[in-house]
Formats: sequence, C-alpha cells, structure tokens
Amino acid sequence: MALPHRSLALPRLPLTLRAALSLLALAAACRRGPDARDSGPGAVRIGVITAITGTQAAFGQAHQRGYALALEEINAQGGVLGRPMSLDTYDDQSKPDIALQGASKLVDQDHVPVVLGSYSSESSLALVPTMTRKQVPLVMPTATADNVMEQKSAWVFRLCAGSGDYAAAMVGFLKSHGAPRTLAIIHEDTNFGQSNAAAMRKAATASGMMIVDEESYGAGSPSYSPMLQRVKAKGPEILYFASYLLDATTLMRQSRQVDINPRFFTAAGTGFSAAEFPTDDKGAGKDAEYTIAASQWVPQVKWPGSKEFDEKFVAKYGVHPGYHAVQAYAALKVTAEAINQAKVAEPAAIRDSLRRVHLESAFGPIHFAENGQNPHPVVITQVQKGKHVVVWPEDIAVALVLDTPPWSAR
Amino acid sequence: MGAILQAILTGLLTGGLYALIGMGLALVFGVMRVVNFAHGAFLMAGMYVAYFVATGLHVSPYAGFLLVMLVLFVLGLMTYALLIKHVMSASHSMQILLTAGVSYVLIGLAQLVFGADYRQLNLPIASQNDSIAGLTFNRAYVVSFLIAAGVSTTLYLVVARTEIGRAMRAVAQNRAVAGLMGIRVERVSAIAFAIGIACAGIGGALLLPVFYTYPTVGEPFQIRSFVIVVLGGMGSIEGAAVGGVLLGVAEGLTAYLWSDSYSQVVNFALFLLVLLVRPSGLFGRSAA
Repeated sequence: MALPHRSLALPRLPLTLRAALSLLALAAACRRGPDARDSGPGAVRIGVITAITGTQAAFGQAHQRGYALALEEINAQGGVLGRPMSLDTYDDQSKPDIALQGASKLVDQDHVPVVLGSYSSESSLALVPTMTRKQVPLVMPTATADNVMEQKSAWVFRLCAGSGDYAAAMVGFLKSHGAPRTLAIIHEDTNFGQSNAAAMRKAATASGMMIVDEESYGAGSPSYSPMLQRVKAKGPEILYFASYLLDATTLMRQSRQVDINPRFFTAAGTGFSAAEFPTDDKGAGKDAEYTIAASQWVPQVKWPGSKEFDEKFVAKYGVHPGYHAVQAYAALKVTAEAINQAKVAEPAAIRDSLRRVHLESAFGPIHFAENGQNPHPVVITQVQKGKHVVVWPEDIAVALVLDTPPWSAR
Repeated sequence: MGAILQAILTGLLTGGLYALIGMGLALVFGVMRVVNFAHGAFLMAGMYVAYFVATGLHVSPYAGFLLVMLVLFVLGLMTYALLIKHVMSASHSMQILLTAGVSYVLIGLAQLVFGADYRQLNLPIASQNDSIAGLTFNRAYVVSFLIAAGVSTTLYLVVARTEIGRAMRAVAQNRAVAGLMGIRVERVSAIAFAIGIACAGIGGALLLPVFYTYPTVGEPFQIRSFVIVVLGGMGSIEGAAVGGVLLGVAEGLTAYLWSDSYSQVVNFALFLLVLLVRPSGLFGRSAA
C-alpha cells in the first residue's frame, strides 16, 4: 500500500519545535559512561561491552566501576606499551542483538584489538561467533552459562566459574548440610537461567536428589506468586534460583507472601549475590536474610589485592563491591598484562599472550586453560545481618550456616 | 482448589491495575482514534514522579498518586497541544510514528536525567500480608487495587454521566458532526488525551510499591495495554476495564497451571484469537 508522499513529512509542526525534538532525541542517544574521548591519539583503546541500561543495569554499573578502578591503576603505573590505556564502552541495553552491534562498531569502526564483555550470558553467547569470525579476542568477565565456552573458539577467554561449577559447589554444600532429598529449580528463561537450571538438574540427579519441580519465568514481571504457589504445593526441601537482581527481589518478597518455607533458599549467584541484594533501597532488604548463593568472590577472600580493591572501591563509591565488579577489574588487569607481554596491541598477538599469561589478581590467580577457561573456585555465601558471608567450603568459611526460620517467625 | 482461588485472586489484584492502565489507552483511542505508542512511557513517567514524591516529599504513592495525576494530566495537555493536535487529520501511520517518537524521547530523557539504574521504594506495606479464609492478601497489592478500582469507577462515571463525558462520547461517535453541534472538538480531545495519560501515570504510581522503575519499564505494559484494548473492544472503556482484569487473571492462572514463562504466550494467543474470531472485541459492538 503506497502512502501519499505528503503524509510522510511532519505536517504543520513549527520548525523550532522540530529542531528541539531532534536535539532531544540526539541527546538521549548519547550514552553515559567512561569512554575514549578524553584520551590522546597515542592511547591504546580497549573495547568494552556491558549492560549500561536496561534490566541488568545494576550489573553493568558494577562492571563500569571495576573497569574504571583497573584503568586508573593501569594508567598510574604507566599504561600499556608505554602508552595510556583508554576504554571504548558500548551499551548493549541488556539485549544480545545490541551487543552484536557493539562488536561490529568496536571492531570494524574503532579497530580495538581486544573486547571485554558482555555482562549477561545471553549477550556474551551472541558475541562468540562474531568475535571468532572477526578474529579479535573476547575476554568474558561474568557469563556463567557454560555454553559460551562450548563453541571451542580460540578467541574466547572466560575469567569466571560457570554454571556447572555453581551446581557442583551447591550440591557439595547441601551434602554436608543435612543431605536434603528434594529440590525445586526456579530460573529466569534466558541463557543464564536455562544453563544454570540444566547444570543443577544434572548435578542434583547424579548425587541422588530428586527434582520435584522446575519453573521457568520471564524476568521483569510484578507477580511471581502463582508460580511460587505451585512450587510450594510440591513441598521441596530446597529451592534453587537462577535469577537476576530485580526478579530476585520480587521472588523473595513474594516467597514471604506465599509463605513458602524450604530448609534453604539457594541460588546460582547473580541476583542473590549482588552487593545490592540485601539492601532496602536496591534489593530485598530483610527478605534477603538467610538466602544462600554460589558466589565467585567476597571482599574477605584471602587473595592478595582483594582487601585493597575493596577499600578503594568503598572509598570511591561508598559501597562494598560484589563479585561482578572485581571480575571486570581483573579482566582489564589481565588484558593489560597480556598486551604488555605481547609487546604489540594486535588481536592475534594479544590472543597468544592471553593463552600464556599468569596473573595474581584480587579475583585470585588467573591462567586460561587450553579451552580458554580460567579455573576459578566457587564459594558458598549466606546473607547474615545484611552481609554476604562465606559459609562453605569449611577451610575458608568465616561463619556457620544459619537455619532459615519460617516466615511467620521472622 | 484453594491454590487456584489464590492464583485467581492474585490475578484479579494485578488485573485491577492493568484495567486502569488499559482504560487510559482505550479512552485516547476511542475519542481520538489515535493509537498511543507512548502510553507505556507515560506510565514510566508516572512511576518516576511517584518515586520522587515519595523520597523528596515523603508522601507515599497511595496519596502521592493525586499529585502524579495532576503532573501527568498537564504533561498530557502539553503533549496534545504541541504534537498530537498537528497529526489529528494525518494518517494512522503518521500518528503512530509521532507517538512512538514521543515514547523514545521520554525514555531517552529518563535515561539522561535519572540514569539507567532502577529505583524502588521498598515500603514496609509491601511485606505485609493478611490471611482471610485461607487466602493470602498482600496489603500493598490490595491498597493499589482499591485505589485503581476507585479511579476507574470515577473515570467511568465522568464519561457516562458528566457534560464533558457526553462531549467525549459525541466526539468518539462522529468528530465532524460533534463539531457542527457546537462541541469544541479540540478542547474535548485535549482533555481526553490528558485523562488517558493521567490514567497511565496513576497506574505507574500504584505499581511502584510492588515493583521498581527504570527508563524502559513501560514496554511490557505498553504491549499489555494493546491486548486489553483489543480484548475490550477498540475504544470501549468499560470493555478495557473487564479486559484488564481478564488479562490479569489469565496471567495468574497460566503461571499457576502451566508456567510463568508462558503467560506472555497466552496473552498474545488471546489477542490473536479475539482479532480472528471477534475483531470488535469481547464486549464491543460491531463497528458501524
């Protein structure tokens, strides 16, 4: 159907108004965040993709803060290859298709030699084939879904532990804490949730536990109570969540409403491990208390530099960092180290250097195995008095596990 | 059985909010024949206004919604006078482009001014539950529902019983003839548009105690509003009220009986089914 040509122009809008609207739209299109604009021509530009806007913005902010601290330190120590380092940040808006656009923009237009990102497993998975085709190394700080490593790309490196590690650690913890027999899995329905649910299904079944219910949900809904009622009716001893932050908050509030009382509320890190989760203004507040999560890092771990990282972070941002921030921090540190060892900021040289690099970081020792995976240990934390404290494994635990009281007794 | 009743109850309480939001879109479409793609963005604006009224003035959204209503009403009047008025006689695609543009500008402004980070209130009432006859009532949801029901009823009475309501219905029936009969069509349209926007804003304010806000929070509600308006018969506000409640119950029941992930699938299945079988909506009369 052909539209009359006349109708395609904005009729009768005053010119000034049209100009003002275009300006507004233009201003809105400019994203916030550290970028490369203030760097000199000699700077080494590194590509970063993360979720600055959208539902995962809290994690994107943690990334940005971690990157910013690492960048400060790297540049204070002389940068890389004797030149300052700068970040070229692209916002994936918490969406995988936008992450892909970011990869094209950063590699084809800005010619960065290495890209760090993205935040979510969904966005990171989308990047793997593209970065492999473009032959530029991709360093993943936080994507836990194990399928991001399954394509066996020579260009992909992952710092964090994956969904299989989370499930194994949680099953290990549960075995030493009453060996429960029944479990329900509740997961958000994108790559992160699906992958962590599949990993837990496998690990729990292998250890003799029975999965009595498995629920998938869409993040960003105001009401999960009908789903939680279903779970309650199945009477599982343990709940295992794979959730981002906003849904984790709603889920715990409505667990109180539905009055579901498992022996433990457990989770695959992420929302339940976020620094914001136990707070009132950004998370579930007191409803987060007693929840247990597989986690990658807490400020109290023994690795050299983690205490200093925590102190610097608190001094700069006024809050303690969650593991997402330190992963971004360490990812940039190890990338800088690799570039220095490569002696040239070229994709293939950086890739070869990433394969060899060893770094003692605040996030623990980093060395990528043959498949690009950094073997990273998982700890189990519990929210106690508004803080994430390590409760397992025993050799590094700082507190005993507290029993979860029923909602009526809280 | 009790659990199914509980799922229906939960759906009813959310549905009350959907109803109010949907009625706003239905009013705008009914009176002006403009499909407002910025409805969700105005809902987001309402949530931010409610948030700042709560944190800045220490007025809970349960009273603050009145202020939100005023602010959004004025915002609606301004949007009408500056933009919508100029495309009233243009094609539908033109109007859709314009309202979609308004939506992008609002979302972009929110990102610039407030940042992408989400905000929530975490009022104590959101964690308070009452148990009556084996059913659990979350107080925040109940209060939001009651206010939404009150506002919806008021809106219905305004449209059905008052002079301005009669004028709106006249404009909805036939714009040209209404003008000839001495109705100030432009003024009536402006008021209808502003009331529609205010409904979205109040809906946002009432959602805030049980939800959170961020610049793109309105997107799913935009889509739900379309489903509601189609369910209720394009442009009928009573129909939209029933459509909203039905949608809430359908979501609750789907999540309970099947899976939360499928509740959106059921929404769209309903949407398509109604369009196929009863294009005039469940409660609409066939288009004249």
